[in-house]
Amino acid sequence: MIIQFLFIGLPYAAIAAVVIGTYYRLTRKEYTVSSLSSQFLESTFLKWGSVPWHLGILVIFIGHLVPFLLPDLWADLVKHRPILIALEAVGFVAGVMCVLGLVVLIIRRIFTSTLQLVTKPLDFVVYVLLLSQILLGLVTAYSYRYGSVWAPGTVYAYLYGILRLSPDMTYVQDMPFVIQAHIALAWVILMLIPFTRLIHMFSIPLEYLFRLPQKVVWTNEVRWNRRSERAQYMESRRYFFRGVAGVTGAAGLLSFGVLEKSGHYFQGQTLDDAKEATLLEKRLKRMKLTAEEKSYELERLKNDAIFIADLKELQPATGKYFIDYEMRPALAFRDAKGLPNLLSAKCTHLGCTVGKDVDGQGRIVCPCHVSYFDIGTGVPQAGSPTEIPLEHIAWHLRATDGTIVAHGTPDGTVATTAAYDAAKSETYKVFIIKSKGVTVA
Amino acid sequence: MDVRSHVSMVFHLDKCIGCHTCSVACKNIWTDRQGAEYMWWNNVETKPGTGYPGKWEDQKKFKGGWKKDGDGLKLNSQNKSDYFFKLFYNPNQPTLEDYYEPWTYQYKDLFDAPAGDDQPTAIPVSQITGEYIDIKKGPNWDDDLSGSPEYAANDVNLDSLTPQERSQLLEIERLAMFYLPRICNHCANPSCVAACPSGAIYKRGEDGIVLVNQQTCRGWRACVTACPYKKVYYNWKTGKSEKCILCYPRLETGQAPACFHSCVGRIRYFGVLLYDADRVKEAMSVSEHHLVESQRRIFLDPFDPEVIAKAKANGITQEIIDAAQKSPVYKYVVKWKMALPLHVEYRTMPMLFYVPPLLPVLGKSTNDVYANSLDGTEFPAMLDNARIPLKYLASLFSAGNEETIREIMKKMLAVRAVKRSEQLHEELNEPTKRMVKETGLTPEEIQEIYHLTALSTFNERFVIPETRREQAIEEMVDPEFCKGNCGLGFNEMPPKIS
Ligand code: HEM
Ligand code: SF4
Ligand code: FES
Repeated sequence: MIIQFLFIGLPYAAIAAVVIGTYYRLTRKEYTVSSLSSQFLESTFLKWGSVPWHLGILVIFIGHLVPFLLPDLWADLVKHRPILIALEAVGFVAGVMCVLGLVVLIIRRIFTSTLQLVTKPLDFVVYVLLLSQILLGLVTAYSYRYGSVWAPGTVYAYLYGILRLSPDMTYVQDMPFVIQAHIALAWVILMLIPFTRLIHMFSIPLEYLFRLPQKVVWTNEVRWNRRSERAQYMESRRYFFRGVAGVTGAAGLLSFGVLEKSGHYFQGQTLDDAKEATLLEKRLKRMKLTAEEKSYELERLKNDAIFIADLKELQPATGKYFIDYEMRPALAFRDAKGLPNLLSAKCTHLGCTVGKDVDGQGRIVCPCHVSYFDIGTGVPQAGSPTEIPLEHIAWHLRATDGTIVAHGTPDGTVATTAAYDAAKSETYKVFIIKSKGVTVA
Repeated sequence: MDVRSHVSMVFHLDKCIGCHTCSVACKNIWTDRQGAEYMWWNNVETKPGTGYPGKWEDQKKFKGGWKKDGDGLKLNSQNKSDYFFKLFYNPNQPTLEDYYEPWTYQYKDLFDAPAGDDQPTAIPVSQITGEYIDIKKGPNWDDDLSGSPEYAANDVNLDSLTPQERSQLLEIERLAMFYLPRICNHCANPSCVAACPSGAIYKRGEDGIVLVNQQTCRGWRACVTACPYKKVYYNWKTGKSEKCILCYPRLETGQAPACFHSCVGRIRYFGVLLYDADRVKEAMSVSEHHLVESQRRIFLDPFDPEVIAKAKANGITQEIIDAAQKSPVYKYVVKWKMALPLHVEYRTMPMLFYVPPLLPVLGKSTNDVYANSLDGTEFPAMLDNARIPLKYLASLFSAGNEETIREIMKKMLAVRAVKRSEQLHEELNEPTKRMVKETGLTPEEIQEIYHLTALSTFNERFVIPETRREQAIEEMVDPEFCKGNCGLGFNEMPPKIS
């Protein structure tokens, strides 16, 4: 429920607040649109705070925006490892600059007596939110490495969903807590923009680049009607119209989306039979998949042990996928002694399914961000984005009559019983067991 | 030719007594508000001295004004290539320490203190924080302190002098000084307007007054840096910039600006000039020594029928043309060439002109006797041995061109000599006659200069064209819109105003 609120309710509330609030502030309260400068009262520390903060935040801002707007270009870039490393490094340094700058700004504001006159409680709210957000971002960048690779397919997919009015939480609901917090806090900050000094983001004076050096305002009609003056006026109007066109376009697209969706809702289906059939087929397929998944779940709820393969099926170099008791993908191999070796295949980085082929050094690799795991121990190789090992999965090896001839535990220990007979091993069957409550016979 | 009319001013420095009445008049009307306590839209400095804000003329530090860039002009800083990076922190913006921390006294203590052995005192408190304050600096701290090593010696205009000239000037026995009242020059090529990233500062087309639109000002402070005269101020409370508005509400009702009206020494003259706006940029792009002359050449003769016709075609009213013909500024600046803009090398084309001071240049003491001799025998050696070197005046008023200053000094001497001989019924001696002739002034002109300098009436000093109310901005747009445009103060209550 809370997850629903944070990732669906909050975003829409935030977007509504930003659009309406910003419109109101820019039009009705134009006088207050700026970030009250305190350089006049204190200049030295501002330099060491404001400059690193703004340079850092702008780099990070662009770094978050480009993959959102130009996903293909971004994907092409981060394919190259040196570029990827460089981008990540720049982002990280920018983040650290932000933190340092912000800390200087906060300390400066607390300890300079003149500044207290121009400080509002909301300023501190902004400081705390921004600092937390940057720290969460840095932790994410450090613990879940290569965000520039994984975020476009996950967080951004979620974002597009929000903007397309079909929010899909599956992308984010299983994310680690830190990343979830980073996303939720982003919505909170967005929401506060029109009500705090953050409004100054919308007053970046880019029009300065295009304007004439001198600005003259006439009330005299004769002058007003003269061509040169008129031309200047028309020029500024052109910029204005371009801006208006941009905003109207964006607003138009958004409302079109909303209207179209609501239209469909009231109109009901308007498809021909063939199309409807394909749609139905798709839906059926999805339902079948869900049914299959549910049946597995049921099986696991009812049974203390589940058959997954004959021992002879298992190979040392290529794993066999199965689904473990937690409904995670897992892999079964045969080890050097001819016994089973069962490992979770859910990558401990961000949860992709790890590949089944073992390379020359006894490793399997996660295709998402290239974490290498040793299949013996499950430990990731140093330098992988994750540092958490893959878990072993508990199993029983049973003879045809059901006697247990060997077993493995989640910590990876393997033992054979007296009944074990290597000569009969081709007839043995591998079961996974509920780790809890099932003892080795 | 694009004929425009422009407000313009002359300050006659020979007459300034340094009483600060102008500053106080302005303060009481416009800047007696929270956030504006430290602002002196009109201030009076002692020269040589560092002024207010301290060392404002040091453009290496403050980076104001224009510089030559090929054939054209470029802002010294805050131009299109560097403004963006200065938004977050402006390395050249003056801060409170460059001005001074404003204070008041706890006068109430004088009445409320409990009876005791000592007289109660009014303790100074900061007008910003309200805390007790140890006063170290004020807006006119260098008043009359010329020669003191802390102020006069740091005057950047002294850089042009040789060490010998410098030490002579600052020697206590030879100490010389004069006053320099300053307001916004309402420049015709203002760098503040050109620097404003939001386009909030503008010139009024009808009269050239430079105003900050409070509604659209975003407080980037680029104008504060860009104005080389440091005559745009940042209001720390409202987060907006403010500046001298030339008391336009008074002007529009036919009254002189408050600082002009209240001036005890009657040093201030107000009028309009007609100029050719098409040639401003070109005129401000010439080499330094020619700037004064090229600015003068832009001003148009208000009696010339062609100029009048073009002016009318541009919507300039008959009232303005009449005022331009009677303008005392036109006489001082264009006709007699006696008034010069301050620091014309900043290339903003200031519309405030100064008649340079003659007295401190002339006065001299020999054998402990102060002499202000005008028998003319000493001329022109008198100018070469002036107590304030002409070079110093040139650095202030003519971008270093001493010849320009010398010509004006000669004219002032000539007027004095002629009037003196008249009063004393003496014949002019030969060298003086020669000097008067060299100036090229006719006897009528000499009388006219004398009259305008010494005896002019209120209406001769302030020639303010009548405003056509039907063309005033409130008649053209919503009054609420005008409120934001007015140029100062609070458009809505800023947070936490106490
Ligand atoms: C190009 C875009 C931006 C510009 C031009 C800009 C400009 C400024 C300026 C002029 C100040 C006032 C500094 C002073 O006291 O003199 C300021 C303060 C501030 N800005 Fe920005 N800013 C930008 C983007 C951002 C962004 C994206 C954020 C945050 C997400 C941000 C957060 C802040 C904060 C928190 C302060 C208050 C600093 C303090 O006084 O302690 N700014 N900004
Ligand atoms: S003197 Fe006045 S008009 Fe000139 S640059 Fe400064 S503020 Fe602008
Ligand atoms: S999910 Fe990132 S390496 Fe596997």
